[in-house]
Amino acid sequence: MVFNSIEFLVFLPIVVALFYVLPQKVRWLWLLSASCVFYMWFVPKYILILLVTIIVDYAAGLLMERYADQPRKKKAFFIISIVSTLTVLVIFKYLNFLTENLDQLCASLGMETHLMTHIILPIGLSFHTFQSMSYVIEVYRGHQKAERHFGYYALYVMFFPQLVTGPIERPGNLLRQLHEEKRFDYDNISKGMRLILFGFFIKMVVADHLGEYVDEVYGHLDEYNSWTVLGCMVFYSFQIYCDFFGYSTIALGSAKLMGFDLMDNFRSPYLSKNIAEFWHRWHISLSTWFRDYVYIPLGGSRVKFGRWAFNILVVFVLSGIWHGAAWTFLLWGFAHGLLHIVEKALRNRLPSKEPKSKWLKISIDALCVVKTFVLVTLFWVMFRATDFEHLKAIFETAFTNFHGGEQMSVKPGMWIYLGLFILSDIVLRNTRFDLWCDGKPLAVRWLIYAVLVFMVIACSSVANFPFIYFQF
Amino acid sequence: MKKLLIRIGMVLAMLVVLNWVYATWFFEKDLRKHSDIVELSWDVTDDSCRIIYLGESSNNTYGEKEANHRKISEFTSDYFPTVKMGDMTKSAGHAQTYYYMLKHVPASSTVETVVVTMNLRSFGPLWIYSRLETALRKQLVLLEDYPPLMNRFLLAFKAYTIRTDEEWDALAYEHRHKDPLDFPYDFEFDDNYAWDSANAWRGWYDFDGKYNTEMTWMAGYYIKSYGFNITDDNPRVKDFDAIVELCRERGWNLVFNLLAEDVDKANELGGKDLMFLMKRNRDYLLRRYGSLDGVTVVNNLSLVRDVNFIDQEWTTEHYYEEGRRIIADHLAQTLRNFYPEDYHNPDSLKMDTGHYFLEGTITIDRQTPYSMALALTADSIRSDWGMVNVAFEINQQDDLSKPIFAVEKLDAQGEKSIDSYDVKAQVIKTGAWDFATFALPIDSTFRTAQKIKLYVHNFSDSPIQIRNLDVSFRPAYLKAKVKAQSYKSVDGDDGK
Repeated sequence: MVFNSIEFLVFLPIVVALFYVLPQKVRWLWLLSASCVFYMWFVPKYILILLVTIIVDYAAGLLMERYADQPRKKKAFFIISIVSTLTVLVIFKYLNFLTENLDQLCASLGMETHLMTHIILPIGLSFHTFQSMSYVIEVYRGHQKAERHFGYYALYVMFFPQLVTGPIERPGNLLRQLHEEKRFDYDNISKGMRLILFGFFIKMVVADHLGEYVDEVYGHLDEYNSWTVLGCMVFYSFQIYCDFFGYSTIALGSAKLMGFDLMDNFRSPYLSKNIAEFWHRWHISLSTWFRDYVYIPLGGSRVKFGRWAFNILVVFVLSGIWHGAAWTFLLWGFAHGLLHIVEKALRNRLPSKEPKSKWLKISIDALCVVKTFVLVTLFWVMFRATDFEHLKAIFETAFTNFHGGEQMSVKPGMWIYLGLFILSDIVLRNTRFDLWCDGKPLAVRWLIYAVLVFMVIACSSVANFPFIYFQF
Repeated sequence: MKKLLIRIGMVLAMLVVLNWVYATWFFEKDLRKHSDIVELSWDVTDDSCRIIYLGESSNNTYGEKEANHRKISEFTSDYFPTVKMGDMTKSAGHAQTYYYMLKHVPASSTVETVVVTMNLRSFGPLWIYSRLETALRKQLVLLEDYPPLMNRFLLAFKAYTIRTDEEWDALAYEHRHKDPLDFPYDFEFDDNYAWDSANAWRGWYDFDGKYNTEMTWMAGYYIKSYGFNITDDNPRVKDFDAIVELCRERGWNLVFNLLAEDVDKANELGGKDLMFLMKRNRDYLLRRYGSLDGVTVVNNLSLVRDVNFIDQEWTTEHYYEEGRRIIADHLAQTLRNFYPEDYHNPDSLKMDTGHYFLEGTITIDRQTPYSMALALTADSIRSDWGMVNVAFEINQQDDLSKPIFAVEKLDAQGEKSIDSYDVKAQVIKTGAWDFATFALPIDSTFRTAQKIKLYVHNFSDSPIQIRNLDVSFRPAYLKAKVKAQSYKSVDGDDGK
């Protein structure tokens, strides 16, 4: 089930209403059932894959705790769990890619092979496997007690608001909250509704309108000139941000309706002054996952520069591959890692004195924000391109076709929606929409609601764009 | 709780205001953008039409080299120069689309009579679950009966069926596989899929024994398109029922214009079984709607010969000018009942060379054994013709009659030879009009003959009636041999 569908708008109030009506001891069952329905709305049979991951990791958690005093056994269960979870991920997400490349490699060696598989990726697989793995790692490290109740553990992995596109939760936050008794609170309902409304606006009004433009241009590169393609690159930066941010915001809002607080996934990432800051503000639940479970175990930053650079590259290449099984994603991750290293190397060499003039500081900061945005935008091309051929074609058209092809006009409405979003992103850089609304007078709040409701209903794109991160 | 109720009240008030804003300044623009079919309904009102013709691409498709691009509705309009007639043509449209179009004809309109295209193929799973459905259904959301803002809300939140091409295909496949084929006699296959698969497996072969891929594929397409039974729970039937209801409410005369299908090819490629299903489906529609007060069904199913179909490798209802004129003429005869004073024969129905239509009914038995005959001389057979299609209606009193279709040839030496084809193999009904068609190759004996005569011969005492003998010659673009069941002679030569 997708958030921006009529089914979800019927499903959510029913789930929330019955959640409060039912006694605490059966709420987990209700939420788990609802989550199953939510997930099975896509392709029912894929729930079996989820079930395998849940059973293995649930059992691994209990066994690791039981053999806490026998490190070898504990480690064995840990490895079994991680390997089995990663195996599921590899089979369903990477096997097509691996076999396709193997076929190509064999072909280049003069051998004809037909290893290529055609496995369909279950929706949200990367998200829930990472969430399940975070539980196993936390239990292994002794930071988290193993969950004894299978239902609660299954619910932790399957909690519908964040099941298919995150935020990738940690057991310390979500599993704990699932056990807590949630009482009906108007404030939660109000905040949840605000977040959902704002999420719909970002996704349906901003991202989807931009998506129409982006799809048209990237799909017909030969028809457009460089200015259009360059504009399209910028629009794609905002499309992917609004699409993913929109989903996360609706997820946060849906959970908030029932009193659950999910972690924030974005904090105005395009206002970052450098790439390191960008990754502190973009897809926070994934970057902190990699930080805690890959980067720090590799030694983090408390190592020599060369080793640190290696750690960074490993993390970013893995992050690239996490997103999708294609060379373009790997390149995208590598480019981010490389930029991260270059920026740090430059920072180490440049004087770290703050400019005395306030305006000079603001100007430098603004330039840094623009520089980071431009680089991130260029990197998004790798993310969006379907393959290297497409990537090459995009860059070629963007930088060599200034006088040929058509200029695709941008509808005035699109500028308005994008402008409103950028304004909101600046205003909300240190807060969240639901919290920001709290401080406003009733009339102002309701005026904002009315404008958002109207825009979501009357100005949303009618094109059918699935959430971009669904494919991961 | 009080706070919550107040907030709910505020939300409702807000929605009422927003609906007014949307309806006043945005709705019409959105309708034109996302549901452009409504413009067709509005145009009809603007033009003060009294008759409206609703159709799909059959109405406005013309041949690439045709000089005359006029629509069926325009040809029909020629018969009623004093009655304003408009059309609403929507490609790939079907009963559901027409229903919404009609619903949005404003109450102030001058419409009196509605002609709705009824396309036999549109009742089949291939069209019901067509890939175009997602887009068509999306177009209808803003036309629902809810307040404008609610309609836009439903559109924004995708309250319509969204399926990928693969999902639509799978659904069509499922119905072809699941829906049983109902024959009153033993039939080899249980469902359309099995029939189509057998056709693909057995294949079609040229005269020289070479496998003919195109022909095999085309036969499969005919089976897929027409090999089904219309039942009461067919979604299109429900949509047509809704149109009937709507027209009654609005006080409009309703004419269902059942389009002509390429029965010649259907017969060649699907044989008598496919023809049986087509005819039974036609009869179902005639029975269901023809008996309703205020509803007339114009039966054009077999009126247009293969030569007048534009798409020769595909099942469509796209006709050349002559085909469009034939349907227009037939429709005009029905509309004449509503507008007798306004009727005027434009005398524009001229047949192309190669198409012969012998009107009238004749009874034949052993005493008067021959039907009306078409007599041709050698010079009237054009060199580019390779096939001749024959169609006529037949009414046999009982099962004892022995009709054959005869092709009599007289060669240069004055010797006469007769090729005969079994009519009984095609005719199932007794005591009612049935339909027989033949597609015969024009071979060397045909070309060398000085005189050729085509007629029906009855060898028995049991009388039969023959009417409307229709013969058309066409190019030899189909080189495959005709299947045995549609090409069997009485003397045992199965035509191989």
